[in-house]
Formats: sequence, C-alpha cells, structure tokens
Amino acid sequence: MIDCQPMAKRRIGESLAGKRVLLTGATGFVGEALLERFLFDLPSTPIVLLIRARGMLTAEDRALKLLSNPAFTRVRERDGDDLSGLLANGHITVLEGDLDVVPELPDDLDVVIHCAGEVSFDPPIDEGFATNVHGTLNLLEAIDASRSRPHYVHVSTAYVAGRQQGHIREGRLDHNVDWRTEAELATAVRRQIELDSRSPEQLATFSVEAANQHGVTGASSISVEAEKLRRDWVANKLVEAGRERGRSLGWTDCYTFTKAMAERAVEETTGHLPLTILRPSIIESSLAQPYPGWIEGFKMAEPIILAYGRGDLPEFPGIPDGVVDIIPVDLVVNATLAAAAHLPEPGSPRYYTICSGARNPLRFGLLYELVREYFVEHPMVQRDRGEVRVPQWNWPGTARIAQLIKLGERTQRAADKVVTSLPRSNRTRSWAQSLDRQRGRLDFLRRYFDLYQPYTEAELHFTDSNTLALHEAMHPEDQERFGFDASVIDWRYYLQDVHVPAVVEPLTALTALRGPRPNPTRTVAQGSHAGSGAGEIVAVFDMDGTLLPSNVVVSYLWLRLPELGLPAKAREVSEVARALPRWLATEKKDRSAFLRMVYRRYEGAKLADLDRIVDETITSTMLEKLSANAVRAIREHRTAGHRLVLVTGAVTPLTRPLAPLFDEIVTAELAVDADGRCTGLLERPPLVGESRASWLRHRAQEMGWDLANSYAYADSTSDLPLLRAVGNPVVIDPDVVLSRVARKERWPVELWHTGTGTSRKLPQVAPVLERVQ
Amino acid sequence: MSRPGFVLTVDERTPPLLMHSGESFKLQQFPLGTRVVYPPESLPGLPDLDEAIEHALLQPLDSEPLPALLRAGMKLTIAFDDLSLPLPPMKKPDIRQRILEHVLQHAADAGVDDVELIVATALHRRMTAAEIKAVVGERVFRSFWPDLLYNFDAEDRANLAHLGTTDTGEDVEISKRAAESDLLVYVNVNLVAMDGGWKSTAIGLASYNSLRHHHNAHTMIHSRSFMDPRHSELHSSAWRMGRLINEHVKVFQIETTLNNDAFPSQYGFLTKREWEWSLKDQALFIGAKHGLDILPAKQRRKIFQSMEAPYAVTGVNAGAVEPVHHATLEKVHQQQLVEVNGQTDVLVMGLPYLCPYNVNSVMNPILAACLGLGYLFNMYRGKPLVREGGVLIIDHPVPWEFSTLHHPSYVDFFDEVLAESTDPKVIGPKFEQQYATDPWYTHLYRTSHAYHGVHPFYMWYWCAHALDHLGQVIWVGGDRRAVARMGMRTASTFADALELARDTVGSSPTITYQHAPPHILSDVR
Repeated sequence: MIDCQPMAKRRIGESLAGKRVLLTGATGFVGEALLERFLFDLPSTPIVLLIRARGMLTAEDRALKLLSNPAFTRVRERDGDDLSGLLANGHITVLEGDLDVVPELPDDLDVVIHCAGEVSFDPPIDEGFATNVHGTLNLLEAIDASRSRPHYVHVSTAYVAGRQQGHIREGRLDHNVDWRTEAELATAVRRQIELDSRSPEQLATFSVEAANQHGVTGASSISVEAEKLRRDWVANKLVEAGRERGRSLGWTDCYTFTKAMAERAVEETTGHLPLTILRPSIIESSLAQPYPGWIEGFKMAEPIILAYGRGDLPEFPGIPDGVVDIIPVDLVVNATLAAAAHLPEPGSPRYYTICSGARNPLRFGLLYELVREYFVEHPMVQRDRGEVRVPQWNWPGTARIAQLIKLGERTQRAADKVVTSLPRSNRTRSWAQSLDRQRGRLDFLRRYFDLYQPYTEAELHFTDSNTLALHEAMHPEDQERFGFDASVIDWRYYLQDVHVPAVVEPLTALTALRGPRPNPTRTVAQGSHAGSGAGEIVAVFDMDGTLLPSNVVVSYLWLRLPELGLPAKAREVSEVARALPRWLATEKKDRSAFLRMVYRRYEGAKLADLDRIVDETITSTMLEKLSANAVRAIREHRTAGHRLVLVTGAVTPLTRPLAPLFDEIVTAELAVDADGRCTGLLERPPLVGESRASWLRHRAQEMGWDLANSYAYADSTSDLPLLRAVGNPVVIDPDVVLSRVARKERWPVELWHTGTGTSRKLPQVAPVLERVQ
Repeated sequence: MSRPGFVLTVDERTPPLLMHSGESFKLQQFPLGTRVVYPPESLPGLPDLDEAIEHALLQPLDSEPLPALLRAGMKLTIAFDDLSLPLPPMKKPDIRQRILEHVLQHAADAGVDDVELIVATALHRRMTAAEIKAVVGERVFRSFWPDLLYNFDAEDRANLAHLGTTDTGEDVEISKRAAESDLLVYVNVNLVAMDGGWKSTAIGLASYNSLRHHHNAHTMIHSRSFMDPRHSELHSSAWRMGRLINEHVKVFQIETTLNNDAFPSQYGFLTKREWEWSLKDQALFIGAKHGLDILPAKQRRKIFQSMEAPYAVTGVNAGAVEPVHHATLEKVHQQQLVEVNGQTDVLVMGLPYLCPYNVNSVMNPILAACLGLGYLFNMYRGKPLVREGGVLIIDHPVPWEFSTLHHPSYVDFFDEVLAESTDPKVIGPKFEQQYATDPWYTHLYRTSHAYHGVHPFYMWYWCAHALDHLGQVIWVGGDRRAVARMGMRTASTFADALELARDTVGSSPTITYQHAPPHILSDVR
C-alpha cells in the first residue's frame, strides 16, 4: 500500500519505488507514453502489462515490438539497444489476455492504471459497452479475485460531461442513467438489428439494390452483393444506435456515453479500493517527452489538419471563439503518475480533469490561424499537382455547412446516376473518376462533420482546480520533471514547431519516398510452364466491345441486311429499332434473355448463307474495325506460348474472320432444322456473365489449365466473374461500373477503341535522323 | 502545243502558290528568290487509241506481231498492273481494259482457249472484285472472273516456280502459271520512270523469296535514283532477273504512257500556273478549299478517293521488253522532265492525298513518309534536287491513322519497329524476317485485302536514300507524335519550318519548291 503522505514531502520516484504497477492499454497512445516514463524516470517501479496476443504474435512478442518503437529511443540509448532483458529479469511482466477474458492477476499489485479502452468515437453500441464498461468490470473482478488491493487509476475523458454548457467541475458526474440497464440493452440491440436485417422487406431491399448494381452478371453475384449490403446495414445501424442513445441522454456520441457509464460502474464497484479518475481532454502529440512531437497513429485532430493542408476542408463547423481543449500527451502522463503516487482514501475517489481550456484556452480562431500560417509557410505538395493552396475559412456556422454538405451529396448522387447510364467513353470514365474523388471528399466531410459537430459546438468550460492543486503540491524538482500545468504551453510554438510538423512530415516523407503511383500495366509473362506440370496458361478474350467495337444488334444487322431487298431492309431496320428499347431494358436485367430475343430474329435464315455473307462482306468490315491493339495482345500471348480462347455471346458465323487467331472458340450456336435453316433457338444457353466463369473453371479442370496465371480480356460489368476467374484480368474500354472496379482492384485498363491507339505517353523516339558524314 | 516545264524564280509579282497537303490544299507564299519547278503541260493524247494499240500489237519492237505468237492449244497468260497505277485511278475505260480487249480478240481469233489473267499484285493487297472490274471492264470481268481472272498470290507455294538464280545469286521465283505459259503478255501503265520494263514481270509476279534481294536498304541507298533505271540498283537487279525469266518464257510487253491530266476538270486549277488562273479557277479553288475543309474527314476522304483522272494516252509500245521500255521512257521524259540548274539547300514539297498504296484507303504516316522521302525525293535524274546534308520540308498532316483492313502490319511496324530504330539498315536484319513470315499477316494477305506483312519495311527502305542524303526533314502541320516516331521534326507553319532549317543550312539558304503533282522529273545539272 502506498501511504498518503503529502506530496511535498515525498517525491514521485520515492512514492512509486518498489511498487508494482499494472498497466492496461500499453500498446495504445497514452499507455505507451506511460510505459516509457516508467522505464525512463521510474526504473525502480516494476511493471505488469496486460497485452492481447494478435495473429501470430504472442503478448510477449508484442511487448518486445513495442519496446523497439521510436518512443523508447532514449531508454534504449541509456540502457542498451536490447530491452528484452527487462522482460527476462522480471522488471516487466507480460500477462497475455484482454479485457474480455482477464487472466489471473498477481497478488502484489500496488497500482492499476487502466487506460485501455475503445478509442473510436462511433463504435457499434454493443462493442462500445463491451470494451469500455464490461472490460473495466472484468478487470475490477480480476483484481478482486486476486489478493491485491491496489490504487485503481481510471483513465476516462473530460468529455464524459456530455453536452452541458458552462463550467464543468471535477467530481462525480451528475446524471441518473442506470448503467446496468444500458449495458444489458446495448447487447440486446445487436440481436434486434440482426433480426430486423433479415425481415423479408429488408432482404428484398438489399436484393433490389444488389440487382441494380450487378444484375447483368448473374444470380449468385447478386446474392453475394446482397449479403454484403445486409452486413453493412447491420454495422451502420449499430453505430447509429450507439450515437443516438448517447445523444438522447445528453452525451455527444457513443464514446463519451460509454465512458461515462464506465465511470459510474467503477464508482459503484470500487468502494473498497482507493480510486482516482483522470479526465484528459483531447490528447495530442507530446510537448517535450519522450521528445517534442512524439505521436503514435492519428488521433482526433490529425485527419482534420491533414485534410486542411491538402486543401480538402473548405469550411469547418464551429465558432472562432470556441475553445478547442487540446492537451499534449506528456502532460497527461505526468498528471497520471502524480495522481498514481497520491493515494486517496477508499470510498472517496479523486477526480482530476487534465485540460488546457481552464487556464490557457486555445480558441478555434487561433488554432486555425496558426495551422494556416504553418501550411502557408510549409505547403503540402500534392503528387504531380504542385503545392496546395489552403482554403480560407469564413466560419459560416454549422447550419450553413450542413446545408452545403447536403447539397453536395445530392448533386453528387444525381451526377453519378447520369454518368453510370451514359455510353462508355474516355470522357464518361474520367467524369466518373472525378465524381468518385469528390464523393470521397464529401464522405470525409460528412463523417467528420457528424463526429465533431457536437464537440465544436459544445461550449464546455472545464475547471481543473484539483489538478492544479496536485501540481502545486509536488516537490519543485518534480514540478520540473513531471509538470503538467497547461498554462505553460505556448500555442504558437506547440502547433507550428511541434504538433503540426509531427503530423505532416512523416506523411510528406512517405509520399516523397513512394513517388507517383504508377497505373497498373499489362505484362504478358513468357512461357506456359510446358512440361513443368503446372498447367497451360490461357488468354481468354471477349469479342463484342473488346476485340471489336461492335455489339450483337449491330452485327445482327450486318448479317441480315445483305440478303434482303430494299423494302425488306427498311422493314427489318425499323422493326429492330422498335424492339431496341425493350431489348436494352432486358439486357440490363438479364443478358442471356436479351441475346435470345435478338437471336430469335435469325429464324428462317440459312446457316450456310450466313457463313457466306460473313466471308464475302462482313470480314472486311470486321477486320477494318478489329483493334490493332487487340491483335497485338493476342500475338503477344501466341509468342509467349499461351493458349488463346475466344468466348463470345455472338453467333458462330461472326467469329469466322477471327478464327485463325484462336485455338478455341466458344460461341452461341444457332440451332438449325433439317434444311439447314435457323430455328431462332440456340443449341445451348449462351455463355454470358457467371456462366463464362463457370465454363472456364470447368474447362480448366478438364484441360489442366493454370487459371491463376492466365489472362482474361473483357469490357463489360457482366464479365466480372470471368475477369475474377483468372489471375491476370485486363479491362478494355470499360463501362463506368467496371472502370470503378478496375481502379479499386488495380487491374490494368487499356483503351483499344476509344483511344488514339496508344497512350498519351510521348512516343518512344528512336535516335533522331542523323546523317553519317 | 503544250508548253515545256520550267523553273520560276519567285519575285514581288509572284502570287501565293498552290500546295497539296493531304486531303486538302493551300496557297503558300514563298520567300523571294525561291525556285519553283513546274511540270510541262499535258501532252496531247493519241488521236485514235484503238488504231495505236493495233499498230503496236501488229508492228511490235523486236518481236513478231502478236497474232504470229498466238496459236490454238497454247497456254496464254496475260498479267497487268494493279490498282497502284495510275494515280489517281483513270477515268473509265481504263487503258488496260482497252488493251486487254484487243489482245483477247487476237487470242480468240487464233483459237487460243487456255487464257488466264493475273493481276500482278506482288506483295500488294488483293484487289476487290469491284476494283478489278473497274480496271478490266465489264466484258472481260464477266468472261473470266473469278477462276481465270485473279489476284497473284505470292504465298501460294504450290503455284510459284523457282526459275533459278541470277549471276549474282538472286533467286528468281514468280507465278508458276506465268512461268510455264507459252506466251506471257504484260500490260502496263507507265506513270513514272521507275515503272515497267523488267520490273513488271520480275517484281509484279514475284514472291518474297525473290523480292528480298533488291527490296532492301542496301539496294535502295544505291539506287540514285530509282526513277532513273540506268542508275538504279533496284532496276539492275530486276533486269538481271528479267533476263533469266526471258530464258524460260516468251514475254510480250505492252507499255503505255499517260499525259499529265491527273485531275478532273473541276480541279483544273491544280494543273494550271497560278498567275494564269481565270476567275473561274479562283472561284473553284475557294469553293473546293473551303468546302473540303468544313466536311467531316470521312466525307472528305470519300470525295478524294472517288476522283478519277481524265488521263489521255500518249503512247502505246509493244514487243520485246527492253526496246519497248526504251521507247516508253522517252515518252515519260517528254511529259515529265524539267531541266534544273544546280541543287538547292532546302527542298519543299506538298504531299497529295494519294500514294500507290492507299487507293480507297488511309494514307498512314509510313505511306506519307514513303511518298515524300521515297517517291517525290527520287524524282530526279543526275543529282538529287536538294544537296547532300540539305533540308526537306514536307507539307502534310501525317495523321496517326491506319487502316487495319489494308495495312495491319503497318500498325505494328509503327509501334514496335520504328519505336526501336528508324534506321533502315538496322531494322531490316532485326525485324524483317519476323514480319515477312508472320502467319496472321500472311493469312490476311491471302484471304483478306491486306498488304503483305513485310510491306511496311519496303516503304521504309524506299526512304533509305533520302534518309541517308538529307540533313533534316521537317513536316509542316504534321501530327507531332507520329512524326517524332519516325525520327523527324514538325513545324506549325512553313515559316517555322524555314526557321528550324537554319540549324542545318544557315540563315539564307536556297529554296526550291517542287510543284507536283502532276509529276515532274527534275534533270539536275
């Protein structure tokens, strides 16, 4: 047990010397900083860490990995590079486990510092409670189960105060919410939402949406997509449930709500232990220790700072004279150590708010000015676009910004609808791409707007008299070494020389290191593993839209018109024109049905005549339209020794001109009667959408093809299953939907028809004409 | 009487001069002192063509009259030039039709019933039925197409005959039917001085195996020029081969020459001297120029490609190949030869819409280069019009555009071969064989209407002499990427081109504008 002597008489180092401290959340931001201070400044305090094993790494592995982080540089410099001795000699004990299943705890713990917790602002409600409330209770139960009776130091947040206005004092929260009921129902919400998501109405909605996106591909793609939509829906609903429940009770979000519930739970279950509750405000990079600007991962303000620096944040909700309560992490660590060394009586918990707003408030307007100045002086450089010009905020107010975002989202949705239904071209693809970029920006704005709006609006005024008193009570040397008086922070220095550079510089360095991200390009691997037993490599090509800028309707007319007289020609064209809207509507839903509708019109035509027409007239037309790039790709595969396969929904005669290029051709075969006349039916279902992929897999198994190293070339969304069936998909002049998939999957995209034949790269120039004298 | 060609020196009174530029034309102002070479005016045509043809057949040079060579039971083959001649295609009836009808009449009279007609395409694309019909006429087409009138197929191994090798080791391999006939009649259109003679049979009916001996960079650099058969390595080789052919088959050569009436009457201003343009000519020019410029590219091409030349025939000669060709060349020179005094630092030319290989098709960058650096550059006798190390300025848009139907191997040649080297001596050994034997190109050459896989190499070899001789080539208004791919430079305007030329020829170069077409053969003294 730690004695309760006044601090002035005892130094922190002395108070904690020989005391065994359990630290949770050591892999987190505050936990890591705490561990570093223990090792550096309090070497005679043995530490117990509760760490969860992750993947292949045991808890001990993770502890060692942690010790190699930059935060521990000065410890390593002093104690030698290999800190594993700390584990070996028992100075650090690693307990493997987490807050769901807390392992048996040692019987000689003197202090427990609990800084593990859910860090996300908007976790699903059940997860928020599981980590912040149940996790804490599990830890306390494990303490009770051991013989330790330690000083329990609970790290909470200043924002547990919720959406109050005015001065917030340090003490027990003023609310009557029953945390037990809330916790119990939070767990039940998941079950309820899972049930809701499975209601027939809801399932139908998912299916319709999935069909709209993937209708052309086939039924199993739709069901996969629909299930994905359902899972996303459940996750969103759970997040919404947490946020709304929190807000309905007066908190800003699920995070502060569950943190507040945890405080109450701790207060009610630790009457027999000395209890300290710490409430830091927004924790940011360190002011001085372990070195200025140390930060791990992104916290609350960093995404905003970066977005601003990138020029992506045109305005911000908030008021210029509102207070942003930021506190450097080393001040939080110091306060925690001081509080840990200062033992309260069991049953009378102490509360400390660790903040800057009370005595050294940083106003939004100043924060903005300082950050802006930084970026004006050190602009970020966007890849290939030069230096970014940062926007100037006019503080139009939350309502106006909300309106703007909403308008942006509505315009975006409308534009997206238009673009996806436009015919494919370079222009539509680039429109789609810039729409996607814009949507990314809007999504970001929306997310942070929703998240931060309550914080920026809340006119909270924290007070920190307890914390100040704790600071004042310290030995002057400790005040120097472990000080946490926020009034000493020079905001200009902290932001412009410490924090913002710490956030921006690693990113700039990374961008410089990576250079521009090249577009994926197609390379044809040589050799087909002949003889290696790995199977033959195939290159599968789609025909309409890929090799030729044609489609079934146009080629139908090519085939049918030559043998008809003029009136019959006119009749045929007008009938096809009339049927077109119906055909196209069908094609959107079911490509196979569409093909059958078109092919019905071949009824009565002689198959031999169709072959003849192709040879006499259509071959030249097709060869004229055949993409030179397509032929080159085919020949590359031929040279590489690959097997060439043409898979098409077109009728057999139309593939005659291309036959010499391929080893195998799969077409829609027209059924004929005894006289050789087409019946308008097909010999077998046309190969479209998913059936192409399943045909390919079946054939690959039969023939021993190596699909993982094979290639597929196609142009439309309906070919997605085919493209996914091989290891090297290549997308040719894609429609908007497919081009989005290709960008996401980093598949090479080639323009064989809409481009000028080659890329916009400067042509490779052979040595300029030089005369040999 | 038609006036001879002459060299104009540009002075203050000289109006802007007409210049071809692909599927358009323009009026270009030239610096004072520029020499402009004008072709001779059109010679008058033969007054009675039928009589002239009969006269040639019955009183041939160094040969028995045609009827004496014909007998029942014999094997007669008639070969004739393909659609690469003449340019533009001739207004119907084509001179070949007129001659074929006479020859076939004599054959019928003699009771010859084994007659086959072969289009001497060599490695050119197969002509379509309609194109052949336009050349041979309805009657001949109806009687012989498709079994007895057909395109030569240089890849049909079974129907080629290897006749041996020349003294210098060149393979002579030509159409088996032609080689094994009792009489081979060749009907030619001798548009320019390179055509005809032994080139007709030894090249027009030959396979790649035979052509490779003279269609290469080495030969072309040493053909100075190939428009002057006596100084052309290409022609020496063809002559050696022809003499070997002559040992196997009796050849009766019929050659024809045309005047300079290359354009239909509504485009008459194209063949007139600008200061002599009438009001009507000026109106026609403005109408045609602006009309063409606002048309979509497709329509514009259609208008140009449907142009037919009202050529008049200036000579028909028949008999043994060499004396016939001698007479032919005299006629060609009479129509095209212009004396020019001394070489120039800068030679200027405007390329028209058509070359021998893009009839009914697209003039791709390689063909444009071949027309300028191959054909027009070589239109000289004695010395090139431009001095060694001089500059050639060519006006043409050089669109990056290819017909995948007619020129499939050109597309790959442009992207793969020229990207690696533009030196004819380098690309030949490295790539030619691969393109010449590529199965897909061969398939398209034999069954579709594609030039042979190796053909783009030949086009580039055609430029070899010019590339070797010139210091710089500048294309006015050319597509930058396409021209850069060919290792040359572009300028937006003629003035800019002259500015660029200063790097090579200094600030006050002598400039000569070759005012063609119609064709001019410069006799440079």
